Amino acid sequence: MTQWDDSQAAAVSENVTDESSTSSANQLADPDPFETEKETVFGRDWIYAGHANSIAEPGQFFTRTVGDRQLIVVRGHDGESKAFDNVCAHRGSKMVEDTPMTDPGGGNRIQCPYHLWTYDLDGELRSTPKSFEDASLNPDLENEDVQEFDCETNGLNDVHIDSVGPLLFVNLSDDPPALSEQVGPMADRLESLSLEAADHERRVVEEVECNWKTVAGSLLDAVDRQDRLPGVESAETDLETDDHCWSLSSTDDDGRAQIHYCWPNVTIEVDGDDGYATCIIDPVDAGRCQLIVDYYARDGDGTEAEREFVRTSRQRRAEAIELAERRRDADGASTLERTLGPNEHTVHDLHGLAQESNS
Amino acid sequence: MSTQQQQHSTYAASCPDCDVDLHSEDPNEIVEFYRRHSSVTGHDVEFTRIGPDLVDAVTEDDLKEVYTLKDVVTQLEAEYENGVPIGAVAAAMSEQGLSIGETLEKIHEIRMGGGLYEPQDDHLRAF
Ligand code: FES
Ligand SMILES: [Zn+2]
Repeated sequence: MTQWDDSQAAAVSENVTDESSTSSANQLADPDPFETEKETVFGRDWIYAGHANSIAEPGQFFTRTVGDRQLIVVRGHDGESKAFDNVCAHRGSKMVEDTPMTDPGGGNRIQCPYHLWTYDLDGELRSTPKSFEDASLNPDLENEDVQEFDCETNGLNDVHIDSVGPLLFVNLSDDPPALSEQVGPMADRLESLSLEAADHERRVVEEVECNWKTVAGSLLDAVDRQDRLPGVESAETDLETDDHCWSLSSTDDDGRAQIHYCWPNVTIEVDGDDGYATCIIDPVDAGRCQLIVDYYARDGDGTEAEREFVRTSRQRRAEAIELAERRRDADGASTLERTLGPNEHTVHDLHGLAQESNS
Repeated sequence: MSTQQQQHSTYAASCPDCDVDLHSEDPNEIVEFYRRHSSVTGHDVEFTRIGPDLVDAVTEDDLKEVYTLKDVVTQLEAEYENGVPIGAVAAAMSEQGLSIGETLEKIHEIRMGGGLYEPQDDHLRAF
């Protein structure tokens, strides 16, 4: 990881126009960048999945789709969070219905509705219907009708999971680097704030007709303008990068108000002691994304400061979306340079890194 | 879609909980939006604008009787070659106060009972 400083910003800014244009031209050449990114970004990096408080009890779970894969994130009997593909080991059926974190499911077992294979919270196959066992004794059945199974090897496919405070991240690759390598110093800064003490208040989901990276670029600019948060006099912004991932963090002088853009697709805004918001930017396809915003408050609903935080956060996002739509429209007319915002280097950096990931 | 295009779109739907909306020319795109939205929120979505021909299809009846969902499909079948898009059915049913989630549930029930079939994905015909 390297620390971002102004000299690098200036160096990048000087030729940002050229490089950004090239980057957008390359994207045009890729018939469906999201298909590529499913592998190079969403199949490889740590992705924010949801909040640990929503599955506080053993057996509670929610589903989360990353790229083409839907995962079950569940609290085990041992108190640890686990993640599995929502795919039955028997014949690959989807097992549990879409279950948002805001309305979690629960149970001691995960059971596939098709032929009732039943797994424990560690993803181990625990039972199959009696009839299958009996089937092997039935001489009238053809061999292929009889299910051969081995409880040892017929478990659910588990997926790596780790956390920053109560924020759960998943990684679809077989052998991922540590989460701390991807999130950088954001982890320490957030963990010092006891985010688990706040309760989920509200989820708001909207769609934007822009590529997710265009929206991400605009939200990044918002991180750089943290001084617009109420009560924040001055803030320091750091961009941490390595050859693939980065995070952009802005923290006020006493560290209570923070905004982080964490590669590849989540922002975390913390408003002092009052609350915080996470915003996931999930691609739907190459030209559309879904923003999933969750608000958390420390004192239950209703203090004026919390309402003000939600208003400011929504306002900031609305501005970012407007900017993203302008950039999208300008992109079409090849006038990218005219519409780049005040923080070209961050936008350039996002495009550049996504580009590298794709190659 | 630009703001101006949005003002003239044939279909619009919104989630009152999130205070967000979607505009489209294709009613099935609204159903896709509903599925994506409800999958991460559990929220239902309501049509706020539908094509005028659909309003006619469910309200202009000589006897002024209330059509069932299956009647609506039969009524619209002539307009579509390979099945009525479920979004058009949901839009028509919204005239009777049904949300998109409620209509999809009803469609599922009637299909299971053998009253409707899908000549292609997300398109309906009545038996
Ligand atoms: S597919 Fe799950 S039990 Fe058969
Ligand atoms: Zn909603």
